[in-house]
Amino acid sequence: MSGIDKAIVALRELDTGATRIAIDARIQLIVALGFVVVVLTVPLTNPGALVWMFAYPIIMSEASGVGYLRVLKQSLWVLPLIAAIGMFNPILDTRPVAVVMGITLTEGWVTFAAILLRGLLSVQALLVLTNTCGFREVCRALQRLGCPAVLVTQLMMLYRYIGVLLEEAQSMHRARLARGFGRKSYPLKMWSEFVGQLLLRSIKRAQRVHLAMLARGFNGNCFIEWARPSLHWRDLTFLLGWAAVIIALRFLPINAFLSNLISR
Amino acid sequence: MSHHYIRYTNVHYSYPSGQEALKGVDLLIKHGEKVALLGLNGAGKSTLLLLTNGLLLPTEGEVNVGDVPVSKKTAPMVRRAVGMVFQNPDDQLFMPTVWDDVAFGPRNMQLPPSEVERRVEVALRSVGAWDLRDRAPSDLSGGQKRAVAIATVLSMEPNILVMDEPSSNLDSRTREQLMAIVNDFHHTVVIATHDLEMALELCPRSVIMKDGRIIADGLTERLLRDQELLELAGLSLTPALAEYVEK
Ligand SMILES: Nc1ncnc2c1ncn2[C@@H]1O[C@H](COP(=O)(O)OP(=O)(O)OP(=O)(O)O)[C@@H](O)[C@H]1O
Ligand SMILES: [Mg+2]
Repeated sequence: MSGIDKAIVALRELDTGATRIAIDARIQLIVALGFVVVVLTVPLTNPGALVWMFAYPIIMSEASGVGYLRVLKQSLWVLPLIAAIGMFNPILDTRPVAVVMGITLTEGWVTFAAILLRGLLSVQALLVLTNTCGFREVCRALQRLGCPAVLVTQLMMLYRYIGVLLEEAQSMHRARLARGFGRKSYPLKMWSEFVGQLLLRSIKRAQRVHLAMLARGFNGNCFIEWARPSLHWRDLTFLLGWAAVIIALRFLPINAFLSNLISR
Repeated sequence: MSHHYIRYTNVHYSYPSGQEALKGVDLLIKHGEKVALLGLNGAGKSTLLLLTNGLLLPTEGEVNVGDVPVSKKTAPMVRRAVGMVFQNPDDQLFMPTVWDDVAFGPRNMQLPPSEVERRVEVALRSVGAWDLRDRAPSDLSGGQKRAVAIATVLSMEPNILVMDEPSSNLDSRTREQLMAIVNDFHHTVVIATHDLEMALELCPRSVIMKDGRIIADGLTERLLRDQELLELAGLSLTPALAEYVEK
């Protein structure tokens, strides 16, 4: 499978590959967003406290049958991006905080680690959400929670257009393979033509899709409205249970407790 | 729009790139008629259909649907009456699931949810795609996409059905289904097609186009018997069809 095929599969799996669970998507969305907010309140100087927060993505993904390994793998894609955000901390902030095995640990490295953990936690929480609801359900949940329909529609269109772009790339890639007679490398000039063609084709395709939308009465301000099904007891239990766990993970001094236990 | 006729009066159309696709088309399609639009690749069939739906506007001349001249202002109203099946189903399907895609039109018409649901089910069942309702359109086979694309239009219950190559990529069973749908549709139908057999079976009348002009218009049976005309238009009969026409 080429990289393009893999990307298409991954994109579709965001929706169709989801291992759906019987909890209302709105509640799952609230828990996931609440979790992200709590993660962001952990001070950057205390990465140790963040480690325990991984309990949420791990338990959620394992219990739902998604598997933490899958979520972990998916989340590693954005690691370079997060690293880029925190890159300057170790360089700029060289105040020493501790000496571990002869190496001086600076404030900058500590906050860098905290940024990495925060980023990973947030991304994993959202990945767990799409993996247990499906992309479309997350969009629906957003609207049911009061997010304007126009934003939700945009989000779904964005998802669709990434798909269009990838599909165009795929068909061009196949056409090239079919006539390439096994040739592996192409000069840079051909790559730039390839990219230019891809853009042109995507724009043409997007125009045709837009025509098809117009043909079916789309007027730019009529959006998808979904009904709001009522919540069940299990949804409420899920919400309260996780709220308690997340708050405990955040505010109970687990590290201090453990080191006490060990040094005693 | 009580009378579902379509009238093209001296219609010209040039694409922004300068390509002159239609060079003066005059045509009247009456209410309840089933018309096949025949012609080689690039003859201008798709362009003519897009003009019918107000998706393109003529650079010269006029298109009327019922008593309404198609213009930028009337286009939304015209599109409610004219349902269009696109040549490439990949362009027509854009929602995350088949169900949502078929519901897109009715939702835009602001129908109540129960009515939307009813129409989606009827449309999907009539093309035999009800079982696909939860699938992603992009994951379907070419023929399945085609069937769903037709359902997206049927769910809007149009008065005029305009189809661009609806039978390409269909297996014989789905093709039969499509023919049955068109047969049961009691309003106006225009089908651009290379499938002469389907044209003969479904459409009593045919219009043959070449280089942006209409070169023949009449009974399908008679046109398909006219060897000279077929040669001029670049059309050729399959052996089975030739045999049938002979009789
Ligand atoms: N988007 C476009 N931009 C520029 N020219 C176009 C465009 N679409 C079609 N044309 C040109 O307009 C002419 C008529 O095209 P049209 O698509 O209407 O033909 P068609 O009869 O539907 O052909 P086919 O049987 O291949 O579908 C062709 O010469 C074509 O090259
Ligand atoms: Mg065409």
